[in-house]
Amino acid sequence: MPLGSFTESFGAAVSCLSTSHLTDEVIRRSKRMILDTLGVGLLGTSTPVFNTVLQCSQQALENSKVWGRPGLSLPPQYAAFVNGVAVHSMDFDDTWHPATHPSGAVLPAVLALAETLPVKPSGLELLLAFNVGIEVQGRLLRFSKEAHNIPKRFHPPAVVGVMGSAAATAKLLGLPAAQSIAALAIACSSAGAPMANAATQTKPLHMGNAARGGLEATRLALLSLEGNTQILDLESGFGAFYPDYVPHPLAEVTPTSHYRWVLEDQNIAQKRFPAHLGMHWVADAAIEARAKFLDKCPNADLSQIKKITLRVPTSRYVDCPLPVSEHQARHSFQFNCCTALLDGEVTIETFSKSHMNRSALKEMLLKVQLENPQDNHSSFEKMYCEIAVETTQGEMFTARCNTFYGHWRKPLSHEDLVRKFRANASTVLSAEVVEGIIYTVDHLDTNQDCSMLWSYMHFNKHMMHRDECRSSQCNASLLNRSTFE
Amino acid sequence: MTNWLIWNSHWHSEGWVLSSNVKCFGVNLHFFSCLFLVAERPAPEETVTSSFGRFIQSVQPRHLSPTVLQRSKRMVLDSIGVGLLGSTTDVFELALQHCQHMYAPDDVSFVYGRQGMKLSPTLAAFVNGVAAHSMDFDDTWHPATHPSGAVLPALLAISDMLHNNSKPSGLDFLTAFNVGIEIQGRLMRFSNEAQNIPKRFHPPSVVGTLGSAAACARLLSLDRSQCSNALAIAASLAGAPMANAATQSKPLHIGNASRLGLEAALLASRGLEASPLVLDAVPGVAGFSAFYEDYAPHPISSLEEDEHSFLIETQDIAFKRFPAHLGMHWIADATAVVHKTLVGLKGGSISPNLVQDILLRVPLSKYINRPFPETEHQARHSFQFNACTALLDGEVTVQSFQPEALLRPELHALLSRVRLEHPHDNTANFNIMYGEVEVTLVSGDVLRGRCDTFYGHWRNPLSQESLQKKFRSNAGAVLSNERVERLIEAVEGLDHLDDCKPVLAQLQ
Repeated sequence: MPLGSFTESFGAAVSCLSTSHLTDEVIRRSKRMILDTLGVGLLGTSTPVFNTVLQCSQQALENSKVWGRPGLSLPPQYAAFVNGVAVHSMDFDDTWHPATHPSGAVLPAVLALAETLPVKPSGLELLLAFNVGIEVQGRLLRFSKEAHNIPKRFHPPAVVGVMGSAAATAKLLGLPAAQSIAALAIACSSAGAPMANAATQTKPLHMGNAARGGLEATRLALLSLEGNTQILDLESGFGAFYPDYVPHPLAEVTPTSHYRWVLEDQNIAQKRFPAHLGMHWVADAAIEARAKFLDKCPNADLSQIKKITLRVPTSRYVDCPLPVSEHQARHSFQFNCCTALLDGEVTIETFSKSHMNRSALKEMLLKVQLENPQDNHSSFEKMYCEIAVETTQGEMFTARCNTFYGHWRKPLSHEDLVRKFRANASTVLSAEVVEGIIYTVDHLDTNQDCSMLWSYMHFNKHMMHRDECRSSQCNASLLNRSTFE
Repeated sequence: MTNWLIWNSHWHSEGWVLSSNVKCFGVNLHFFSCLFLVAERPAPEETVTSSFGRFIQSVQPRHLSPTVLQRSKRMVLDSIGVGLLGSTTDVFELALQHCQHMYAPDDVSFVYGRQGMKLSPTLAAFVNGVAAHSMDFDDTWHPATHPSGAVLPALLAISDMLHNNSKPSGLDFLTAFNVGIEIQGRLMRFSNEAQNIPKRFHPPSVVGTLGSAAACARLLSLDRSQCSNALAIAASLAGAPMANAATQSKPLHIGNASRLGLEAALLASRGLEASPLVLDAVPGVAGFSAFYEDYAPHPISSLEEDEHSFLIETQDIAFKRFPAHLGMHWIADATAVVHKTLVGLKGGSISPNLVQDILLRVPLSKYINRPFPETEHQARHSFQFNACTALLDGEVTVQSFQPEALLRPELHALLSRVRLEHPHDNTANFNIMYGEVEVTLVSGDVLRGRCDTFYGHWRNPLSQESLQKKFRSNAGAVLSNERVERLIEAVEGLDHLDDCKPVLAQLQ
């Protein structure tokens, strides 16, 4: 059977099954099931667990701001959800080792929650909660050897990210240890999303759901919901997500002790362009090879390239010879290689439709061949990329990248990090607000009141505040763009 | 026989722990000499989990070093910038519109047992799903899952959401319901591992989520590709580990399955796309296969070519008679036989003093082997508890799990006399397992009971009268008799209803 047909057959069946397909027996049995379920449900409304989730689900009095949408707020877990989606929507967020995108699961949840607290946390308290969320993720990843390699089964943010979000939000609320454990246990039941949805439009939801799930778990724990108190110890608990699971306890923390954070020993990678981390090695190698080519032949026509060989680690979900969607393009060794060769860089614009559809690019894609050398490990700590460009003249230009600029071994300079921030933020915010955020974050640890942070995030230079819009004359394009009632 | 008696009295006077399966929770110290207690459960301070809880609670700002401060501020800055940029993307816009509509101030869907209260459709599906599984009283299928609780709440929530003039007909509703059940059954047949009592992921959280997505997609009349996407999006929302079974969090697995399946269908209807290969077995990239060790998918044959046969047709479902894990029903029925004999022999009520030893022959399954359950959730997942209750009372009921019942001294007396055996031929599989009990009396008599198929199992289904009796007892706890009868009538005639308002009306 051709690939894709099982899934398609399910889609077709679900769509095409109709009342005419129901037999009498099926009708009879299913009515019995419906009756029984209704009765059981009604009885169940008298249980404590039901009352807990009901309290949790009712409309919260406090809402949290949606980033880039002035005037729009949602209950905190849904603000965390959409903002988390935003962070991972272009695969532009940070990456750690062992592999996950830690910040996107934690920051949206922490900010959304902080906003609803009657007494706002200080900047330092915010940083502490944030770091607890990062730390827990780092520790959990170290419980499995499999976690050290580029993932194949579950997408890490969906596994450790939700746990990090639970830990961070529990910390922010100052929950006692037992309730923090409950938050982790409840969060664990929301963990896990398969890798197959990476490189699709659904991938960003993994991040959004991690942020949301962790925050929900903490809220449920606060309402006294309990889970398994040994959730991190058991194979049938958090261990369910790994074939090799060996947990270790965290060191004791006393008011006077020194604590060794994972972040201290293991820095983070921040991306220069919005694509899967593996693409960064490819881009840097390709840019170097291109420079050598142009150095030798300054007026060279890149269509003189006959063949491109890429030596990369084996990783099915980023091996995409002819990507069709932007999501696929962000997860394609071949695409990023050819873009870097053509343009000398990979940028945000690279993944736009116009850039993706260039004929020169499409032609070049056909010339790429992948090789997976034995010594090229599928690990962001160990991988490299080697490129060999062969011209029609018979010349060969090679380059190799072991550590791209932005990797934890070669972190972005402060200037370049801020430059990236300015470029991103100013697509949505005015210059003053952009500088305001830079200043606030820089002084986060000394600031008593950091509520400016989420206020700044609530602006959008292209949109008016929804209340202003109602009373004034807005042009049609603005109204279409925003989602006012 | 004589050897048996001597061995048992030896055990009781010395208080030895017989097998490593029996863990002592220290509840009945007067039955055991403290010296012989092997504390197999570690003190809370020693577990990995508790160390995490402690860390989260006790770490302070002063523990943040300059390097950590610097690095984390860089991360915060980068993350915010990336988020702001990301707010310009299509997927963000899509997710935002979804949330605004789903979590709007005007709530539309009913909540079981809360007249007049409404929630947003997804949250109504969530809480109603939690209600359905809150007591482990809902239906069970083979291969093992609880199919209806994941599907029905979502469908009811959607029905409430739809305009009064476009409510689905009873048949449409039933079709969507059956699509949700069918998909779950199909998916479980992709893995041999799924045939046995689960060890890793709780099945409703795996197949239930996709079942809900399928049912909702059907009720919303999504096109093929949207239906596929709904399944794929749901896969990213599936999977909860078994460790939370037998805890208060277990019901959330069904609640979330229902809610998240509905969300997946709604997102798909807005155009969100996901992996087109999610159900296929692609080496190196796991889709739905992530949840199983062995995975071999089969397509559903095209409806144009072949006659479609719903799985429920050939594989019926089990309805529980009391709110506990399915495995408990075998042992309860087996023990009820012994209870009856004992009452016949001795007359009146059973006293624990009559009983020397209770031997249970059951399949090996860690999470339903609990010698001294402390909470109602644990009790619903305890062979020992259900056997002793059935021995004392002749049956297990809703009331058996109430706090007073859990604390009965006679029950505890019996619990300490229970041993488990796991015969090789008693497989942990709801289609072939059995339950056997052997009660040795102080007098020396040995009474036996065995149950191969309990009443309510798919091989011996509840009669319509029994099912309705269960419903009346349950629904009557929160609804008036009139509403209860109207609901029975409405569901009975569901396939003839022009629209399902009669059902919804009784639940509002």
